[in-house]
Amino acid sequence: MSGPRRRLIALAALALAFGACALAVVLGGAHNTDRGAYAALALAIGWGFTGTGLYVWTRRSASNLGPLMCAVGFAGLWKALTFSNDGAVFTIGSLGAVLIYALLVHLLLSFPSGRLESRLERGLVAIAYFNTTVLQLAGLVFTDPAKSGCAKCPGNALLIERSEAAHVIAAAQIDIAVAVLGAVVAVLYRHWRTGTPGQARAFTPVLAVGSVTFALLMTSLVVEQAEASSELARALTLALFASIACLPFAFLGGLLRARFSQAEAISSLVGRLGDGGGRGVLRDALAQALGDEDLQLAYWVPDQGVYVDAAGRPMRIDPPPPGKLATPIEHEGERIAAIVHAAELAEQPELVQTVGAAAALTLRNERLDAELRAKVAELQASRSRIVQAGYEQRRQLERDLHDGAQQRLMALGINLRLIRERIEREPEARELLDASLEELGEATSELRELARGIHPAVLTNRGLEAALKGLATRSPVPVRVLATPEDRLPLSIEAAVYFVVAEALTNAARYAQAQTVTVSVARRNGQIELEVSDDGVGGADADRGSGLRGLQDRVAALDGRMELRSADGEGTVVRARIPCG
Amino acid sequence: MTKTVLIVDDHPSFRASARRMLEAGGYEVVGEAEDGGGALTAARQLQPQLVLLDVRLPDLDGFEVARRMLEASGPSPQIVLVSSHDSSDLGEAVGASGASGFVPKSELSAEAIAVLIG
Repeated sequence: MSGPRRRLIALAALALAFGACALAVVLGGAHNTDRGAYAALALAIGWGFTGTGLYVWTRRSASNLGPLMCAVGFAGLWKALTFSNDGAVFTIGSLGAVLIYALLVHLLLSFPSGRLESRLERGLVAIAYFNTTVLQLAGLVFTDPAKSGCAKCPGNALLIERSEAAHVIAAAQIDIAVAVLGAVVAVLYRHWRTGTPGQARAFTPVLAVGSVTFALLMTSLVVEQAEASSELARALTLALFASIACLPFAFLGGLLRARFSQAEAISSLVGRLGDGGGRGVLRDALAQALGDEDLQLAYWVPDQGVYVDAAGRPMRIDPPPPGKLATPIEHEGERIAAIVHAAELAEQPELVQTVGAAAALTLRNERLDAELRAKVAELQASRSRIVQAGYEQRRQLERDLHDGAQQRLMALGINLRLIRERIEREPEARELLDASLEELGEATSELRELARGIHPAVLTNRGLEAALKGLATRSPVPVRVLATPEDRLPLSIEAAVYFVVAEALTNAARYAQAQTVTVSVARRNGQIELEVSDDGVGGADADRGSGLRGLQDRVAALDGRMELRSADGEGTVVRARIPCG
Repeated sequence: MTKTVLIVDDHPSFRASARRMLEAGGYEVVGEAEDGGGALTAARQLQPQLVLLDVRLPDLDGFEVARRMLEASGPSPQIVLVSSHDSSDLGEAVGASGASGFVPKSELSAEAIAVLIG
């Protein structure tokens, strides 16, 4: 038999023996009524708490709950010693008579994790212990039971001097107790409200019986302070003890409910995973199993050394988001994912691990999907970067042309025009100069078109609306621009829209024999919707010629789609949709 | 009377040609500026009657410079916008700027300016 188990058996034997002594003391007590009822309640509290406490201790050896429940049981039996006719035993009983309440406060605030989580909780427990030990002892040394309403009580062995201080201390103890109990009920209610569904389920019976107990205790203290009828005080005390006697079973019930809830969750999870399903089903199943609707799954991509979400987007889990914790899940020693869940679930690590283990195989399969999506996302991002870099290079090239050759040609033109004015009287020279100026004009115009084709500076400087209107003005076919977005768009999107419209207008003029073209660009539901339609002969095919195909690739690089509808004789419609956050 | 002119363009070769052209046409070039900020300062100090203003400058664009010059206190200069782009690229912005008009650089001459400023 293991050491811990032997200790628990010894503790059980001690509780049995102490209970038997307490029973004898209560039944033999000469200074109280309702001895039978008190005897039964003392045993119910003492043995009830130690019995259930030992059970919890064996099942959750790392938790403080078992030892605390046993302590409450022993404190209940200790309290019974106040029924003794013997002065020494009576005094010992009186010294620990109210310790049970501090232990109950400690136990309730620790449930179900076994830990006090906040400074407030630790403070309340410290005050409760101070009130029930230090102040209890301080009051006792000034209390003479015979002169405090208990004529048949034995003498107080600790009495130094009977003093009014005893009343003052007792009143202070009651005030402190009422304040602490009120705060404890509020904290317990908050635990119940903010816990995960599994915790709330475990907490419900404890909160119900604990609240009744504390409400009875507060009422009893208030009645005691008001020195109301002794009948009422007696009835309240019996009701309070009966309520305390029910508490261990409420704790046990709560823990069993939590275990049942966990088993049910895992069984339901296994069932749901067995049913298969698409993306998101696993997350939903885990969220339901762990009672955390906001749960997220992070899949490990070993090649990139990062976690990604189901869509393949990078996900940071170290440090986890506020209020969350990340529990890594492994399968056959290989890291496959992490469950990012509510921090409250840290109290149930075994549940998270069990649920993760149950889902490990499915997680591994989903991880492969997520890994693939991450690679696709990386490719998409890299294509987008290449297109963006292309735009930047075009922009720079256009600027270089504008700042270099174009300006020199412009200056040359001015100089030549000046020379022409000065040689009015030499017809041959003037003829030659006119021809040179004409050549220069052609070169300038071609260079301007070339620069505009590389990158339209007007787009950068004045935006899409001005650039599209410029295209419309230069088009040989009449163009109506019906709509353009009011705000500026990212440069890569503006450039893609511009070049799609430019290509569509060129095609409408060159091949479609169109009479009119309409252009519409609108921002709706987070995307840019572009439509260019003409009333020409139709029959355009994106697979013939590289213009439209190249534009489809540009639009696709921005995660968009471009469609061409061009039935013979029904005109041509080019539509594109580009996501635009 | 000879009109005083400020030339605003970020390309020295263009400024030099424009100066020759304007002086040959009977204008007095009182200053040059290579960006929008410099143009506003020079216009304030030199009080030219005419500003030959490039649309594409390194800091502010020519439309914005024109707007600020015309809003500034004191006598406003006449402004002629020039660009190596053609008017289809500029659209309604020329009219909205308050400038007297626009001449593409490829067609720039003293006569073209005279037609615009009357």
